[in-house]
Amino acid sequence: MEMLVCIKQVPDDSVEISLDLGTKEPALIGVTPVVNAFDTYALEMAARLKETFGGEITVVSVGNDEVKNSLKNCLAVGADHAYLVKHEKSESLDPCGIANILKKAVHDIEGELETKFDLILCGKESTDYASSQVGLLLASKLRLPVATNIIKVEPMDGIMRIKQETEEGYRSIEAKTPCVVTVQKPDYDPRYPTIKSKMAARKKEIKELSPSEEVSSMLEVIRVFEPAKRVAGIKLKADNEQEVVAQAMSVMTAAKVF
Amino acid sequence: MSHSDAKNIMVYVETVSDTPLNGGLEILTKAHKLAAARGEEVIAVLIGSNLEHAANTAIMAGADKVILVTKDNYEMEVYEAILTRLAEKYKPSLILSAGTLVGKDILPLVAGNLTTGCAVDVMEITDKDGNFVFTCPVYGGTVLNDLVIKGTPAVAAVRSGAFEKELVVERTGEIIKEQVGVENTVRAKIVEVVNEMAETVNLEEAQVIVSGGRGMGNKENFRLVEELALACHGVVGATRPAIEAEWVPRSHQVGQSGKIVAPKLYIACGISGATQHVSGMIGSGYIVAVNKDEDAPIFDIADVGIVGDVVKVVPLLIEEIKKIQSL
Amino acid sequence: MAYLISEEAQDLLQDVKTFCEKEVKEQCKEYDASGDWPKNIYEKAFEQGYQALEVPEEYGGPGLNRVDVAALIEQMAIADAGFATTISASGLALKPVLIAGSKEQKERVCELVLEGGLGAFCLTEPGAGSDAGAGKTTAVKDGDEYILNGRKCFITNGEVASFYCVTAMTDKTIGVKGMSMFLVEAGTPGLSTGKEEDKMGIRTSNTCDVVMEDLRIPASNLIGEEGKGFSIAMKTLDQARTWMGCIAAGIAQRGIDEAVTYGKERIQFGKPVIKNQALQFKVADMHIKTETARQMVAHALTRMDMGLSYTTESAVAKCYASDIAMEVASEAIQVFGGYGYSREYPVEKLLRDAKIFQIFEGTNEIQRMVVANNVIGR
Repeated sequence: MEMLVCIKQVPDDSVEISLDLGTKEPALIGVTPVVNAFDTYALEMAARLKETFGGEITVVSVGNDEVKNSLKNCLAVGADHAYLVKHEKSESLDPCGIANILKKAVHDIEGELETKFDLILCGKESTDYASSQVGLLLASKLRLPVATNIIKVEPMDGIMRIKQETEEGYRSIEAKTPCVVTVQKPDYDPRYPTIKSKMAARKKEIKELSPSEEVSSMLEVIRVFEPAKRVAGIKLKADNEQEVVAQAMSVMTAAKVF
Repeated sequence: MSHSDAKNIMVYVETVSDTPLNGGLEILTKAHKLAAARGEEVIAVLIGSNLEHAANTAIMAGADKVILVTKDNYEMEVYEAILTRLAEKYKPSLILSAGTLVGKDILPLVAGNLTTGCAVDVMEITDKDGNFVFTCPVYGGTVLNDLVIKGTPAVAAVRSGAFEKELVVERTGEIIKEQVGVENTVRAKIVEVVNEMAETVNLEEAQVIVSGGRGMGNKENFRLVEELALACHGVVGATRPAIEAEWVPRSHQVGQSGKIVAPKLYIACGISGATQHVSGMIGSGYIVAVNKDEDAPIFDIADVGIVGDVVKVVPLLIEEIKKIQSL
Repeated sequence: MAYLISEEAQDLLQDVKTFCEKEVKEQCKEYDASGDWPKNIYEKAFEQGYQALEVPEEYGGPGLNRVDVAALIEQMAIADAGFATTISASGLALKPVLIAGSKEQKERVCELVLEGGLGAFCLTEPGAGSDAGAGKTTAVKDGDEYILNGRKCFITNGEVASFYCVTAMTDKTIGVKGMSMFLVEAGTPGLSTGKEEDKMGIRTSNTCDVVMEDLRIPASNLIGEEGKGFSIAMKTLDQARTWMGCIAAGIAQRGIDEAVTYGKERIQFGKPVIKNQALQFKVADMHIKTETARQMVAHALTRMDMGLSYTTESAVAKCYASDIAMEVASEAIQVFGGYGYSREYPVEKLLRDAKIFQIFEGTNEIQRMVVANNVIGR
């Protein structure tokens, strides 16, 4: 099974990003760039499919040279090929613009590798902008079936059997191959790169592609700001729990909470 | 579509078992205010069967027109096509939907079909000099963006709890039945729908939520959160660590990766107050926090903070609340 | 500040950091309390290949220089010193073979390590600690085999190793000149483990007696020549003690990290306690000591990589780093105040972990003798 995993490099999501009050931009200096968490789940899902059904995994991303490091990390955890669509200002692109670029990249990579992808995987959203649209729009532009929020996919008799997580449970979906899926966190974690796989990945080449013609962004950010802070109320401490609860209850009854 | 002839707000209202979901109704109320200020109308779109009653609820919530389209089962591609056709016919300047799985699936595709853009996770919509401005969280809610959509119509999926629903029984509206011919070429077909939830957890509509976090210590102690919720007629919420420790099912999760809630009263038990969680409950009316660590960030946002051992404090709270309620 | 390392090591360092943050740091707390050996954590670490960092490139290792490896080991020590000790003790057991072993022996132990095996270095005996020459374990040649008898104690990885490098007397009459070094694989009949130590610190590492009773090994398992055992052991320790300095510096760094984080959070008299110059100076001193220790470790390792002498430098690095690890851990507790003395907080463990680094692989008194001999001359 030939698979393509679309990767976005994002600032480490375990770091709380605040607004730089000077520049009015999110303060990203010193925050390590990492592969978007949901994309790592997609890559792990692909790596497990490769172990069962064979085939190769290609990863692709859009951005400047800095993104190559993230692609190298992908090569250390299961990807066989890595492509970077060079774009110096990828952060200015909207989901539609990214999907357009990826559509051309899919055709370019299929041409270069002389293959056809059976499955294109994306994370269900990115941890930075969380627009959750690129996978859907890519599928739409490629005229391929798509399923979002998936936790499992398996090829069977020429179709893909997909398990989509819903609020209440799940849906089973059957899609024609090839198809696009956007991946939710499955019940397993992505593997770590090993010292060996990392050293090997460093030696692999990241191939560069040129972007498609620019599509003007439909979304324009006109203001970046911080959410309003809530003012702290009162903090009650006492020698014993009875006393502190009694104090709290009198404050709450005065505020007509109960 | 050109700017000049686009007007009115179209709202897709999702229904489950012939009943409109709250998220859609909340948006209708907001859309009604936005449209009324412009002298325009709100057009609700309902897709399914036996929707007459749901249509009336939509009118009460703020719809001037309700378009009913009959379809048996949900299929993303079919719904996407229907909404696209209707948008082409009715030419709204804004299309809205709740940001449920369905809403977040079909709206970006509709926007793509109409060569316009889509905003998701929208927390606020304002009408500024004739342009709709959408407020969206980025980086997990620590930073907010105001954005405008340059294409027409603007398309946006709204996060739950962003707006309040107001049902006005006297309100009247027009119900229109539309036949929308869609080619039956579904490429990704739903073959089975499984509901794994033993109970429905309705955090979004709850007036009172009692949540527990890592500080509860173990599954047994977490029962105290459930007892307190019962005593205040509230719904049980939880942080991600409590979910991951399997003290409660995922459907109870409050926070950026769970539900965004805005109850009148929110009681946080053994919750430190990580942004991940706080961004999901900061809109609550009154926040009570119980935590033994007096430096816990949850106290920075709580109206009342109780510094103490949750395992001792919560039973006392239950006792006191029961006393008040029996008066 | 940190080690100056290659670009690939920087890349690996990030991975090690992520792994240790997610899989080691918090998990080790439980094992520190129970004293159990966290097999599941080590299995995950072996999958990453951490135990094979010191395997030479020609035998399938990653081909990193020693300072690169030090940066990675320190990162492990920041998470848990016992964890880093287990990994590093395996490197210790590799050294006699790499220093004096045959090509076959090198291939064999490297293969074992790459497959996820650990090594154990067996020199110390109940009656032979600093006076290693007083060992009573014997090796008697019998045709194509040696028969080993004796008891080794305080052996790191004793119960969990795949191979052991053991010293034994082949000729008791001539003291240390009669000591030889042997390679023993786990599972050899006659090899068993005795009492496991209930240690004060580094409780996630395994330390126990290793017992040999009529243990027969092929004569080809002799490392180097008969009578060279003591010299091989001393060369091994010369190298290995720098690595103990590396782990000690990691403990100190953890102390700084914890003290700074807590000092910023803890509010007294209306401001974070770290705003007090008394604590700022404390943190500065902690950093000065730690960074100095780290650069001494780097210096000794660089000399090893360059093929220069390193005995004194290695002794200085180990002795200084372990002494300051004790001081820094103690000061970290001081910054935490009463909470620092509580097992609920992470700093008292650092003091318990640090202490052994003043003792094992040559006590700091022995290190001072080494330094004095080299400075003063005979």
